[in-house]
Amino acid sequence: MTRPEASPYATVMDDSQLTGRPIVLAGAGPYGGDLEVPEPLVTGAKKWSDVDQDICMHAERFPTKRWWAAFAVALTLLGVLVVSLVTLLYAGMGIVGVNHPVGWGTFIVNFVFWIGIGHAGTLISAVLYLFRQQWRTGINRAAEAMTLFAVACAGIFPIIHLGRAWFAYWLVPYPNARGPLWINFNSPLAWDIFAISTYGLVSAVFWYVGLLPDLATVRDRATHPWRKRIYNALSLGWNGSHRMWRHYESAYMILAALATPLVFSVHTIVSFDFATAVLPGWHTTIFPPYFVIGAIFSGFAMVITLMTFMRGYFGMKSYITLNHMESMAKILMLTGMLVGFAYSTEFFMAWYSGSEWEGFVFKNRAFGPYGWAYFIMFTCNAIVPQLFWWKKMRRNTWALFVVSILVNVGMWFERYVIVVTSLHRDFLPSSWGMYSLTRWDYAILLGSFGLFFTLFLLFVRFLPVVAISEVKGVMDPKVARSAPTDADLAAARAAQEA
Amino acid sequence: MFTPVSKKGVLGHFCEPDEALAAAAKVRDAGFKHFDFLTPFPIHGMEEAMGKKRSWIPWVTGVLALCGILFAQGLQNWVMIFDWPMNFGGKPFWSWPSFVPITFEAMVFWAALGSALVAIVAGKRDTVPQPPPMEIETGATVDRFVLWISATDPKWSAEETPAFVRGLGANGVRLVDLEGGSDA
Repeated sequence: MTRPEASPYATVMDDSQLTGRPIVLAGAGPYGGDLEVPEPLVTGAKKWSDVDQDICMHAERFPTKRWWAAFAVALTLLGVLVVSLVTLLYAGMGIVGVNHPVGWGTFIVNFVFWIGIGHAGTLISAVLYLFRQQWRTGINRAAEAMTLFAVACAGIFPIIHLGRAWFAYWLVPYPNARGPLWINFNSPLAWDIFAISTYGLVSAVFWYVGLLPDLATVRDRATHPWRKRIYNALSLGWNGSHRMWRHYESAYMILAALATPLVFSVHTIVSFDFATAVLPGWHTTIFPPYFVIGAIFSGFAMVITLMTFMRGYFGMKSYITLNHMESMAKILMLTGMLVGFAYSTEFFMAWYSGSEWEGFVFKNRAFGPYGWAYFIMFTCNAIVPQLFWWKKMRRNTWALFVVSILVNVGMWFERYVIVVTSLHRDFLPSSWGMYSLTRWDYAILLGSFGLFFTLFLLFVRFLPVVAISEVKGVMDPKVARSAPTDADLAAARAAQEA
Repeated sequence: MFTPVSKKGVLGHFCEPDEALAAAAKVRDAGFKHFDFLTPFPIHGMEEAMGKKRSWIPWVTGVLALCGILFAQGLQNWVMIFDWPMNFGGKPFWSWPSFVPITFEAMVFWAALGSALVAIVAGKRDTVPQPPPMEIETGATVDRFVLWISATDPKWSAEETPAFVRGLGANGVRLVDLEGGSDA
């Protein structure tokens, strides 16, 4: 079995040459048969030094006009968030729509929505790492950043939902002068505090550990002494020694192995907030897997949205290829079908249980006054991703972009349907009611996107947006290696003669 | 860049991970101990080629995970049974299933954060007596696989070691002699 001397990857220049199928090398396999090799993960016959240039470039130049334009929009929305939060704290909960009987409104919807978005980042960085899916290297850094920023957005909502946000620290169990008055460890809301804070911190550490070698790369490229000093401190003096890589790789693997059950636990615990209540529509055993799958589904949709921008605006098409997009489309379709399966299972169980209340809640969900929300949810989440049965659609960036936006809309409405329709008509018809959003509900939702995009734009401005060291590891050394300099060749010749 | 300690030794680099791996094994077999490989990305099998054992970080993780479990179980049981026992619908104070989620989260928290911290500190501490000269632009974070043999090695010889490194096929072999306390 002999591999051809010239790498088949040296000629793959851009997306148009990728097919999503293996490259067949005639006669290169065992016993003179064909050898199939996967398509390259990085196109354009890039060298390792090109990777540094392509990725660090954006953090090393004055931001472009497009960046400033995007940043201005994001910052404006962030301003909307700040103004509405200050107003909310000043005026009180009366300015938003929550009231009897719908006491959990958009705050909880937004909280679950943003936490769900975060899940794809951890899935890509941890689960795909454990499964040795090498295509993750192109997208994991940005996806992990997305996780952190989504968790930051999510974290706001339970705190403002408390009503008296300035007492948020009462949620933390610590010896205090109020008794000591401890939190109730039997409550899923207390579990949530631990789950979300652990998730946020572990994701941050995972992200930072992954960044260390790349921060060193940025440092070594820096020309200004202060820039060198700052990035040197941030990279903790990383020098690429294999004595460090040895422990680093072990720790990275362990972080992935710990983050994998963690990511499943977080949305499981979020779903317990609902599932442990006795309310029909919430009180179901399907909730943990249903929430986790929905979270991964919505998160992948957000990753596709962000990657479309990174490919288009930041010229990352060589690193985030159409093959990456197709892989994500496959995951989106799979999780979309699982979500659709969960919707159907809920209906089946409502009928099969024979419970009058369950049956009513689900009939009311689909055909009651909030039927339009259910319709949006079901269409966007279960039907639209079916488009990706066609390879042509999986490799069409416009189709991917539109579907990813629709899925995010659908997933927001999924949480809206779960929270609002279950609450607005419960056991006693005399206590039924309707829920409507006020302008402040809209402002806070919109503002949370401002926070998310502000953080993301700052991230692309200051840090390497693709995991440089990981991408280098999956490139073909025959293509990516540096050419020896003339001095090197002369020295080698001298050594041979000696 | 500022050099805190004197550094004397030989630098050489390779262009491909396979070459680096083969060279590391030869350096190990030649009996060198105070040498290091600086690479832009980790190379599979390098630990063995450098004569190092598998990382012991998993043991740290195990111990820390256990600490996290004990901490969470201790806190919850103490609060819910002894310090602030409350009657929730006549259920037992020791309702262990509801302590499971926080126990799990605490386990992950301690194990993950602790392992990352220990791994970074351990990686920094596991270095040759005279660490590789980062003051010199080596390209180890770009595309070069840099071999450094420190002059502190018992097998060091100012004449033979550079020739030995050249014989491995390394490019740009040079003798480095940096004084401590100076700028390179």
